[in-house]
Amino acid sequence: MIAGGASSAAPRPQRRLMTEVPAAVTLHGVKKAFPLGNGRTLDALNIEHWAVSAGSCTVLTGPSGSGKTTLLNLIAGVSLPTAGTIAVHDTDISVLPEPRRDRFRAHHIGYVFQTFNLLSAFTALENVMLSMMFADAIPKPEQRRRAGEILARLGLAARLSHKPPQLSRGEQQRVAIARALANRPPLILADEPCASLDASTAREVLDELLSVCREAGTTLLVVSHESAVLAAGDQVIDITTINRPEYRVRFVERV
Amino acid sequence: MTILMVALKYLRGRFVASALTSLSVALGVSLVIASVLLSRGIQQGFIEGTTDYSLLVGAKGSPTQLVLNVVFRMDVPTPNISYSTYGQLRDDPRVEVAVPVAMGDAYQGYRYVATTGGYFAAFPWRRKTFAISEGRFFRDDPPEQPMYEAMLGAVAARLTGLRVGDRFHEGEEMAEYPMTVVGILRSTNSADDRAIFFSLASYWEMNEVSRKMKVKPLTAVLVRPKRMSDLAGLHRGVNVTAETQAVFPSAVLLNIFNVLRLVDEVIAIILAFVVLVVLLYLFVSMYSATLERKREIATMRALGARRATILGIVLLESCALAVIGGALGIAGGHSVAYLGASMLAGRGGPVANLFAVGALEPVVFGSVVALGALAGLLPAVLAYRTEVAENLAPLS
Repeated sequence: MIAGGASSAAPRPQRRLMTEVPAAVTLHGVKKAFPLGNGRTLDALNIEHWAVSAGSCTVLTGPSGSGKTTLLNLIAGVSLPTAGTIAVHDTDISVLPEPRRDRFRAHHIGYVFQTFNLLSAFTALENVMLSMMFADAIPKPEQRRRAGEILARLGLAARLSHKPPQLSRGEQQRVAIARALANRPPLILADEPCASLDASTAREVLDELLSVCREAGTTLLVVSHESAVLAAGDQVIDITTINRPEYRVRFVERV
Repeated sequence: MTILMVALKYLRGRFVASALTSLSVALGVSLVIASVLLSRGIQQGFIEGTTDYSLLVGAKGSPTQLVLNVVFRMDVPTPNISYSTYGQLRDDPRVEVAVPVAMGDAYQGYRYVATTGGYFAAFPWRRKTFAISEGRFFRDDPPEQPMYEAMLGAVAARLTGLRVGDRFHEGEEMAEYPMTVVGILRSTNSADDRAIFFSLASYWEMNEVSRKMKVKPLTAVLVRPKRMSDLAGLHRGVNVTAETQAVFPSAVLLNIFNVLRLVDEVIAIILAFVVLVVLLYLFVSMYSATLERKREIATMRALGARRATILGIVLLESCALAVIGGALGIAGGHSVAYLGASMLAGRGGPVANLFAVGALEPVVFGSVVALGALAGLLPAVLAYRTEVAENLAPLS
């Protein structure tokens, strides 16, 4: 299932037969360059082909600046590739007009951030409900009940009306996970979800994340350096093995 | 959850800033409402308080002073005219009614107005009606037998506390001439509410100069011609004399309005600046709030919020601040206007009932909300254009 890349993790038994599982994410000829000014660009990504199989937990690792977050943002559709196609469950999100891309993201993709990014004016419950409001897929009267259920599932039943500053970091990341799961998306992207947590909290949060994703059969794509996360993934990909930018920085000829 | 709830939550999240912004909107709206209400109220007060008589004859001098003093009981009295002026006008075949008026001193600040029953008479052409709420009208006594009967305007009666049957006089030197209250008028919404009326005979007897010199001074004569076409002729006839002038109260009123309009224009310019400052404050408040939460906006976008949703949230916040400020401002403006009106009325200034002053509120409220949306537009566009990937990066 991996083209142009290889597992860099220590050898361990494969938990699934990857070849028979359909892909949740497929990248073809994806390039991403950032303008630096003065006619220079930074080539951040150049991925020939890469796919993430549905229902798996894939861990993406690599040195900082190697394009991991850029890749997640491209898959989430919050930024667009300079070239190539990105299919999420057979939908090429890079060609969707923006409003449809936003709607697609709300329905199909959950995003978990390193720094949680909870909205500070809202309670834990409201943070989860906001996600539902944006997707508009769950009937309004249902939203509160559903949000409460997800938070309870993550052990936050007593924390529903707490605002982010009143929650511990571990609790905040659990709320963020609940928020990402709110619309039952088939794909969850997590960018360093444990990096801001201490080791034991990180372990707990990671276990919760893996278990809720496995329960729901959700595909999980995690960017991480943490050994605990690396150990928990079905496969670990070093991004440098799939991402081969032609030049790190180059001058663009102007005609 | 709805977009409106999100917007309101955000406003509550920065409560102090939101409250201060709303307050500044409220103060601006209060100023606009209070100035417009008071300005219209004063103008309306002049219109309602003016006389039904088409011509006012008094001593030569300022027409404005004559009208202000005789009709609105403001300014200082004009010099006296002789009783014979009244006689000539009364006997003029072109005149339907002529009413003599003499302005005297005051009792506790309520002006003595000596006149005849003609002042209160009802005619088909009169808008103004005088009715007794208690007692009766004073009698037009013969000049030799003053009865010192007084009739009080509604406000004068209420504020002096005088009742029918009470006797009163102002100052020790007038103790010999105590007046008896025989009647109290219903309110007329004019300066007459603040007057104390009595007969000319009583006035001439109480007035030291007229008593000793055996003259019958008057301040003015109110005239109604039989035909309006005779008005100009009467006006000219009076004005050619050396001592008297005739003025059209309506023309003087227009002059007063012209002066008021000038004041209104100055106030309008000041108000325009106030509105601009408030608008700017609302804009700065929304702009900085938007800048502060670019990361939250990026997060919302990453969660699937559309640009239009983000635009809507910021616009709604701005509008909500304007709605709150507008509502508070309309309430506050009315309070200030009523306070101002009662202060003005307390000094005898003509102010109409402010409740009767046009439908100003919906226009002001609508404009405030529209301006709120305008102030929020640029911040909303800033929010709309927030780059997601750029602003999602960890802060460290």
